[in-house]
Order: sequence, then structure tokens, then C-alpha cells
Amino acid sequence: MLVIRRRAGETFLIGPDIQVELLEVGATQVKLGITAPRNISILRKEVHVTRMQNEAASREISTLELASLARRFQK
Amino acid sequence: MPHIPTKYFGSLEYRDEDVVQFPCGLPAFEEERQFLLIEPADRAPLQFLQSVRQPGLCFLALPILVVDQAYRLTMTLEDLVSLDLDTTRQPLIGSDIECLAMLVALENKAPSVNLLAPIVINRRNRRGIQAIRVDSAYSHAHSLAGPEAVCS
Repeated sequence: MLVIRRRAGETFLIGPDIQVELLEVGATQVKLGITAPRNISILRKEVHVTRMQNEAASREISTLELASLARRFQK
Repeated sequence: MPHIPTKYFGSLEYRDEDVVQFPCGLPAFEEERQFLLIEPADRAPLQFLQSVRQPGLCFLALPILVVDQAYRLTMTLEDLVSLDLDTTRQPLIGSDIECLAMLVALENKAPSVNLLAPIVINRRNRRGIQAIRVDSAYSHAHSLAGPEAVCS
């Protein structure tokens, strides 16, 4: 992992088009400003992984599998 | 009473008050705003979140306390506001809200639940949200494999 040090007000680039500015540094949070082309999607990581999990969770489950899942939790 | 076709239970009769409204949908399913929470006795403690609009869309979930008895819910202020919950404290699982963990069960893989983003339903107004945590206290893919999965 690349680690760089920046102060509030400073900026770095990812590729030629994506610019990240460190707007504010607080005790427990930092505020970032991101400038990127429209086709680049920017998501908080927890939202991204939840989207992926929801897509996986929407797939069909067989009746057999359902029964065995329920049994796992029954006493 | 109205009926809807469901993914796993054929045509099902329901009462309007059993429908849970998700004002923002669910991540990746933002257009699905209404779900029916189905709790069949013979599949307990599994619960099913059936989309009212799309018969083919039904999620499986488990009460979060079944997965982790000590689960500590931390909702953001924004999420509390969106469910019209008291913003001065975290809601109580059971009395204020229902809290479910979305289940992922893919073939040839141990099932897992998303503890990072529990489904929270306000019991008073039947409004729901997938409350994504901003901390990293819980995993988005908590595995149910191994002996601890058998609830004792």
C-alpha cells in the first residue's frame, strides 16, 4: 500500500483525472473533496460491499438448502 | 385481503400493515421500496424479505441476536432520522425495532450474514432501512460455518 502524508488543503492525484483534496482534518475524521470524471463511481467501501452482498443474497436458494439452513438454527 | 405471488411460498395473502416500507430501497435494489416480512413457523428462525413489486426477489435473513447474542447496534443519525426513531439514543432491538442480518447462501460455500449492514425495521411505523455501519466492528460476511453456527 502506498502511504503519503498530506496536510489540510493539500491535494493528490490518482491517474491524470482523479483529484483528491484533503479539506479538513478533525480528531477522528477527515473530510475529502474528490474531483473525478462522471463515469467513475465513488462509493464508501461499506456501501460497496453491502451492494455486493445484497446481489449475492438475491440469488435463488433451493428448497433443500432452505430446509438445511433452517435446521442449523433449530434446537 | 390482497395476494402477492412470492418466490418461495406461492401466492400469499397479506395485510397492508405487514408491508415494510423502505424509503431508500436496499443497496443495489434502490427501486424496491416495499417488502413483506414472512416468518414461516417451519423455517424458524429464518425470515424472508419478499419484494412486493418483484415476485422473483426474496431475501433471507436471520434475527441478528440469533447470530450474535451480544450484537451492539450502532445506527447513524441520518438512519435514525429516516426511520423516525429517537435520535438521542440507539433503539432497542425487540421493543423499538426489529433487527435482521441479511443471509448469503451460495452453493458449495458456508453461509454468511452481513453484520456490517443490518436491516432495521421500526416496529411503530413499519419503516425499514439497511443501516450500514460506519465503523469496522462487524464483518459484511460473517461466516456461519463451524460448530458455533449450531445455536445451543
